[in-house]
Amino acid sequence: MLDMITKFSACCRAAGLKVSPLEVIDCMSQLRFIDATDEEAFRSLLMANFVKSRRDQPRFLEIYHLFFHELRTSFHDVQEEDSENPETPKQKRVKEILEKIREDLGDEAEALQNLLDYLGGDPEAFLNEVQEIHNLVEQRSLAIKVKSNMGQLSNRLSVMLKINQIRQKALQLAGELDAPGDPFTKREIDAYFSKMLDRSFDLLTRDKRPDNVALRQVNRTDPRFEEIGERPFATLTPTEMERTKEVTDRLVRKLKDMATRRYASRNKGMLDVRKTLRRAGRFQGVPLELHFRDKPLRKGKIVALCDVSGSVWSAARFMLAILYSLQECFNGVKSFAFVSDVADITPLFKANPVNEAIEKVFSESGIDTRMLTDYGASFVRFRERHMHELSTKTTLLIIGDARSNYQNPHQEILEEMRDRCRRIIWLNPEPLTTWSTGDSEMFTYKAHCHEVRPCRNLNQLVTFIEELVL
Amino acid sequence: MEFRSVAHVTEALSAARYIPSTEIATVVFLAAATRKPILVEGPAGVGKTELAKSISLCMDRPLIRMQCYEGLDEAKALYEWEYAKQLLYTQMVRDKIHSVVEEADTLAEAVEKISEQEDAFFSERFLQPRPLLKAIQSEKPVVLLIDEVDKSDPEFEAFLLELLSDFQVSIPEIGTIRAKTIPFVILTSNNYRDMSDALKRRCIHLFIDYPAIETEKEIVRMKISGIEEILLDKLVRTVANLRGLDLKKRPCISETLDWARSLMVLQADTITPEVLASTLNMLVKFKSDAELVKERLQTVIA
Repeated sequence: MLDMITKFSACCRAAGLKVSPLEVIDCMSQLRFIDATDEEAFRSLLMANFVKSRRDQPRFLEIYHLFFHELRTSFHDVQEEDSENPETPKQKRVKEILEKIREDLGDEAEALQNLLDYLGGDPEAFLNEVQEIHNLVEQRSLAIKVKSNMGQLSNRLSVMLKINQIRQKALQLAGELDAPGDPFTKREIDAYFSKMLDRSFDLLTRDKRPDNVALRQVNRTDPRFEEIGERPFATLTPTEMERTKEVTDRLVRKLKDMATRRYASRNKGMLDVRKTLRRAGRFQGVPLELHFRDKPLRKGKIVALCDVSGSVWSAARFMLAILYSLQECFNGVKSFAFVSDVADITPLFKANPVNEAIEKVFSESGIDTRMLTDYGASFVRFRERHMHELSTKTTLLIIGDARSNYQNPHQEILEEMRDRCRRIIWLNPEPLTTWSTGDSEMFTYKAHCHEVRPCRNLNQLVTFIEELVL
Repeated sequence: MEFRSVAHVTEALSAARYIPSTEIATVVFLAAATRKPILVEGPAGVGKTELAKSISLCMDRPLIRMQCYEGLDEAKALYEWEYAKQLLYTQMVRDKIHSVVEEADTLAEAVEKISEQEDAFFSERFLQPRPLLKAIQSEKPVVLLIDEVDKSDPEFEAFLLELLSDFQVSIPEIGTIRAKTIPFVILTSNNYRDMSDALKRRCIHLFIDYPAIETEKEIVRMKISGIEEILLDKLVRTVANLRGLDLKKRPCISETLDWARSLMVLQADTITPEVLASTLNMLVKFKSDAELVKERLQTVIA
């Protein structure tokens, strides 16, 4: 049992779950208490120990199914009982074929090792390889100026080729080794190999998306303003633009008032004995005036990432204006703009009045707005240079349409950001209905956000700012 | 009472009027057997707090509940020195202090003598235990419910760690207070923020979702006797449909029960769009939600 659990925990780690030795120990000690042949109880036990968040449950269940059903029933179960039962012809044959492939392919077999292990019932190395490919961070080579985002794809392709190579070989060998008078075995073996190889293909190509139940997806708004409130930012006339800006400015001030009220009404802390006694000196040692230790309130920090590319042109200017007023009102606001690279625009906002600052974002921030939007690359750059800005007190605000021109979305970086900050809120200037269309990666990114909402007109914006809790 | 098996947990919880799934029963049994805390996650109103109450009821242990909120600190969660009492005592025993230092020849000697008495002022007499300390000091084992732990600050998690792994509390002036009895600890979270890995590692995890239709029917049947089967079926399915809508606040189990009760009072024997519209405020608690449902009355009703 211990062997199996450690093997399984290694597979879980290979698939990106965090399983510590302590949890394996807990698991072993708990197994004494339940009937391990009762599958539901057994699964609940493993899940309660290995998965500590609802988000990871789908991933766990997939590995569980792969490990205990697809691999065990088809291979391992029988193998473990070797000592008592002789191997079934099928198991024996599969082993023979795997051996044969190993021999035949000789040198190449090194590269195929992981896959062959997987077929032999040990998926850990293969899962590791898949995980590495998923998390591959692009190495930007300096010699080649052209930026490539295809590394992940090409690595995947080479594994796919390996899978096909083995498939051919296995089918061929199964035919050769066929013992006469035993037609079922051949068919079974063929089926076994096809099934297992298909499964490996699935594992490789399908992106794992955590199930994000706690996600708040807000799509409705209170119709606060007639007409102007429902018009998309893109279609506003300059005068309407001004009006809209006034409204949002007022809102941001209100937000600030709310924050200050929190300061005013903060609770008094514990008695400060030292100060109280010091004051008691004035009244002949009688502590008449009590002095309390005040608690500093938690200061929320905002880190905002704003897409300023052509596709969100009109909304971007507007959002920058909002960011500007947020930064004016609060201390801990950091603003970044990105297209395919990230730039810190906080100093620009500090030094200039609003309209100039926004112009300068487009001209002086060092971002080429004519480049193709690349969310993945922007995240990579952000992680390289600005990751330290995120702490457990930070609210990360991402503003953009998530249209990444079919580049690698690098959602694992967003996941990493989620681990580091308090909340991730994504504002999308597109209506909800177009989120899953074309090159939008919204559904990939959504899995890692705490809150997503379309934000394309004044009413939606007003609702958002009013609900914003820092 | 100790649990003997998973089936026994199911039985005991059902007797306490809580219907657990196999998963819930397994996790509760394991937590009781290995004395580990449970971290319960799930949407609001699926019975996370209710689970703790039922466990306390069927284990026959008192329930100590601690509600977490932003700004909760150790003075409110663990212990607090009663400074006022200390000061009062200093005033009252002034003469005694005087007599202690009377024989001292030098100032240094006087200070020495007083410091010998220091323990008198930093003893458990002046310590006011708060829920967490109370739970481990109790002579009889308790069920400790730490509710909505995700609302508390990250700092608060830090001093939960010592308590949850070793069941002890370190107080600088006194030393370490070990648990007299090990409490059964349940933490609940609405997933407002992710908990730290260190805290998660110390707990067994349990996710409770909205109940399946059959389970919810059973719950309603248990709490409201005499409800008709046809009405019940329609009622539970309608609520399940409502949960599928994009609402600000989805109806939870207690709202299903409230609605069922009000339908009983109104003596409605079936659910029509009119009935739903007139009793809607039992189920949805926002004006905008109500409007949304009113537009879809026909499709919501199963």
